[in-house]
Amino acid sequence: MASAPNSKYNTRSLENESFKRASRDGVNRDLGEAVPRLPGETRITDKEVIYICPFNGPIKGRVYITNYRLYLRSLEMDSAPILDVPLGVISRIEKMGGATSRGENSYGLDITCKDMRNLRFALKQEGHSRRDMFEILTRYAFPLAHSLPIFAFLNEERFNMDGWMVYNPVEEYRRQGLPNHHWRITFINKCYELCDTYPALLVVPFRATDEDLKRVATFRSRNRIPVLSWIHPENKTVIVRCSQPLVGMSGKRNKDDEKYLDVIRETNRQISKLTIYDARPNVNAVANKATGGGYESDDAYHNTELFFLDIHNIHVMRESLKKVKDIVYPNVEESHWLSSLESTHWLEHIKLVLTGAIQVADKVSSGKSSVLVHCSDGWDRTAQLTSLAMLMLDSFYRSIEGFEILVQKEWISFGHKFASRIGHGDKNHADADRSPIFLQFIDCVWQMSKQFPTAFEFNERFLITILDHLYSCRFGTFLYNCESARERQKVTERTVSLWSLINSNKDTFRNPFYTKEINRVLYPVASMRHLELWVNYYIRWNPRIKQQQPNPVEQRYMELLALRDEYIKRLEELQLTNSAKLSDSSTSPSSPSQMLPHVQTHF
Amino acid sequence: MEFSELIRTRQAQAELLSGPEAPALRGTLCVTGHHLLLSPKPQATDLWLLLLRSVDSIEKRVAGDSGTITLRCKDLRVLQLRIEGVEATLDVARSIEALSSLESVITSYPFFYRPKGLRLGDAWHFHPLESYYKRVALETDAWRLSEVNEDFSLCPSYPRVVIVPRAVDDAALARSARFRQGGRFPVLSYHHARSGTALLRSSQPLIGPKKLRCAEDEELLGAVLAGARPGAQGFIVDTRSAQTAKQARMTGGGTESKAAYPGWKRLHRPLERGRHLQESFVRLVEACGDLEQSMDQWLSRLDSCRWLAHVQEALSTACLAAQGMEREGACVLVHGAEGMDSTLLVTSLAQLILDPLSRTMAGFQELVEREWIQAGHPFQLRCAHSAFSHARSKHEAPTFLLFLDCVWQLGRQFPLSLEFGEGLLLALFEHAYASPFGTFLCNSEKERCLCEVRTQTHSLWSGLNQSKEQRKLRNPLYVLNPSALWPSVEPQSLRLWQGLFLRQTRPPERSEEVWEKVWQIVTDEKTEDSRPVVSAPEPQP
Repeated sequence: MASAPNSKYNTRSLENESFKRASRDGVNRDLGEAVPRLPGETRITDKEVIYICPFNGPIKGRVYITNYRLYLRSLEMDSAPILDVPLGVISRIEKMGGATSRGENSYGLDITCKDMRNLRFALKQEGHSRRDMFEILTRYAFPLAHSLPIFAFLNEERFNMDGWMVYNPVEEYRRQGLPNHHWRITFINKCYELCDTYPALLVVPFRATDEDLKRVATFRSRNRIPVLSWIHPENKTVIVRCSQPLVGMSGKRNKDDEKYLDVIRETNRQISKLTIYDARPNVNAVANKATGGGYESDDAYHNTELFFLDIHNIHVMRESLKKVKDIVYPNVEESHWLSSLESTHWLEHIKLVLTGAIQVADKVSSGKSSVLVHCSDGWDRTAQLTSLAMLMLDSFYRSIEGFEILVQKEWISFGHKFASRIGHGDKNHADADRSPIFLQFIDCVWQMSKQFPTAFEFNERFLITILDHLYSCRFGTFLYNCESARERQKVTERTVSLWSLINSNKDTFRNPFYTKEINRVLYPVASMRHLELWVNYYIRWNPRIKQQQPNPVEQRYMELLALRDEYIKRLEELQLTNSAKLSDSSTSPSSPSQMLPHVQTHF
Repeated sequence: MEFSELIRTRQAQAELLSGPEAPALRGTLCVTGHHLLLSPKPQATDLWLLLLRSVDSIEKRVAGDSGTITLRCKDLRVLQLRIEGVEATLDVARSIEALSSLESVITSYPFFYRPKGLRLGDAWHFHPLESYYKRVALETDAWRLSEVNEDFSLCPSYPRVVIVPRAVDDAALARSARFRQGGRFPVLSYHHARSGTALLRSSQPLIGPKKLRCAEDEELLGAVLAGARPGAQGFIVDTRSAQTAKQARMTGGGTESKAAYPGWKRLHRPLERGRHLQESFVRLVEACGDLEQSMDQWLSRLDSCRWLAHVQEALSTACLAAQGMEREGACVLVHGAEGMDSTLLVTSLAQLILDPLSRTMAGFQELVEREWIQAGHPFQLRCAHSAFSHARSKHEAPTFLLFLDCVWQLGRQFPLSLEFGEGLLLALFEHAYASPFGTFLCNSEKERCLCEVRTQTHSLWSGLNQSKEQRKLRNPLYVLNPSALWPSVEPQSLRLWQGLFLRQTRPPERSEEVWEKVWQIVTDEKTEDSRPVVSAPEPQP
């Protein structure tokens, strides 16, 4: 302050915090070793570099590269690691400067990451010193281009819990009360012959035969026929998902498809119309006719009502997130921050996705209509809408395992193209297929958890961990585009599931304020006034945004968790003694659980 | 004066709508001297009650044989009354208009309010200055308690006692007071024991165009440095721009010259005040209440209100002052022009940042009492109207609200470190603008003495410290944090205080409900019984 009266108040002393945080996961760390290694991780090379930290300036250090990560240790400072980055997050590696460039630190590598940051390293100019680092990084960050395996196939980690056991479709449908009189489980897609991007097991109307399904498949984009995602336990209305009908310019019709939708409607007697939510903007749906797609018209589908939800396509979302990165990394836009945030439209897209999901949930919860959701192919916006609506409707999905099942079911098994959207191990950073659709879904979940702080069993770190491993390639969970490909590659046998890591360390991911409430439908407020940028994710690399060392808060939350466990145990004891007393007197009409409405928390 | 003259009608049949989702309430509406009452049934006990003083603006509309009155309250709530009968509507409206704008202090409701369970004078023996001095005296003997202002003659806006450097006698204080606007000579605001430095506040020196000097004033600031840690230097944080401070000389004010105050260095951190701050507040409330406007432009509209920019400036100036003490080991004097607005904002926030005791329930109440109420923030002028009133006078400014918002931001960034929660901040906001208690009445201790506020009204603190209020006001997660709280003041780290500004648009899950659930988990820690009991701490004598 004395030396620079014009400098603004600064939070420099907190800046080291972010580095320490980056290196905390379930890794066993050998103190004698320079780099922490996972079982199956091998060291490839190391090199002295200058890390150009956008916040603290150049730092001299040694970079270690393994077949899984890039790790940086400072030469000057204590042993705290500065960077610990899985190579999977790298989307692009560029050389900056040439052998003759002038200026300090002008020669080196610039690495663009998928998680909202860039890493810059400066190297010595003499002797092409960056060449081998560039080549090794390129080879291990983009193994697909070099006929190398993705790290998940080399990972030999073992966990107490097997995450691959979390999702069993038969069990999940049984939990929903399926099959029943109106819905049956079909194995028609057992060998992925009906639809190669759908799971093997599908739930379809009881009255539709397998032959019907085959005929309907011909009229739906990529054969993604309408199948059940969720059924309301009481009013029995359903959420059904599919792709667009192949109407085309000539306005083709398909009697089987029309009949099939009517069969879906009729699974519920009281319903006179089936509601169709087309996730796209109206004009996009019309434009899709030119490429053979389209939407359900009134005259062909009599007992339906069609609404467009105005959610934009993957390209719009990708550009919007790019703009967010522009205003938060490396430097955050300070003047007119809110206006620049607005100009990215990111929160507006979040709002539209949430609004759409609320409409779906509301329709189903009211019992007035079953809902059919589709977009174009039914694997991006459709997955967002069905999974968010299910999260609003069904409190089971708000538990840690429930959420894993939701992701496993609506996203992974139903063929959200993770490989294409994320580009695992692929060097083509400009691929137009890449898009942050799943990130956007997780952001929506975060917005909900902000608005309902006691409704979710998991905490923010759970969501961030999922996103980190969406890119890391340490686990097999998000690899490949669909179930058939995963089966061909024997992913469940050859890789570890992310849920193994999470379920073996559940306490780290628990929300201490979670209060389980069955049958409570959550309607978040999707107004711009109530949405906020997820600063702890999008701007987490910037130390100036950090408020407090995360540790005391987390420690307190852990204490709270312990307290809550204790509390619940004591309550159960109380209830036991109470019910013992009650059965003695057998006069009291109220059960102990009714006496304590808020505390039916369980584990 | 008789209120009955102002009451045009005693009763009417009405329907009350208090929000988009709250159920309508029907019944008989009554206007009394201080309240608007609605009783659903003739002998109903669950009366709806509104303090007329909390009405900020009133709008009436008649159609057919009924009318609608929209009441916009100072606490930012909007209420609608549908009243049967055109005459009745107009009469009710006129009565509310007349009664809500009464200016007399001694006929105001606090002088009539006699709640059960409280005795008059209970918390008024709460002397934060004396008790704070006791604490300082344990840390250093460089300061003394002076009664030089016993009869408010030196400074009408200061309390009877002030903490000043021991080395300066009362006669010198008197001369320093004459050299400062409104007599507000430099006094101790906070002593930072860890670094042995002090935070002071005052008003601007009356340097004027002739560049006057005052030996005693210079001596006073010199004594501050001499009494601090050896070698300590001083910073004067002027809450005006260098240019404004210089221009103030034309009207008799100014700022300390380097030559006259050796060891002190001046920093200018312009903070918005007065009319501009009020306008920002009005724009923000307008934007928050405007449900028609396209939501696509919400963020840029929020930006253009500039309220969050004011929050940022206030917090970073407070951080600067706190940093000067804690990290540079310097003494800090804060002043603007009059030293009753942004000055208090900076000194009180700096204390919250540095002093763990001020973050407790009792400590925060003392801070508000000592640094705002007794320090002479003119509450009656500043909080006469809130964001809706059309009757603008130039004295309104939401400085205290800005302080509360900054505290809320601190609480959001440090969720465990404040013993109180949003509930207390909301309560202080509401009571500052309209209250059955006397705490926020008048503009200064002198006026409070003249009106006998202390003997004739109840103190808000005794109201708040009743055990039934505690769960709403306390932070269930609090644990003492002994270190300074350095908040992040980047615009990305600041949020709109939704619990206040968006109270009309119902939040998805009410924070009170969340609070209650957390309490249930936490209080089991302290009690054997599953029903939690919270004991209220006694206010410090």
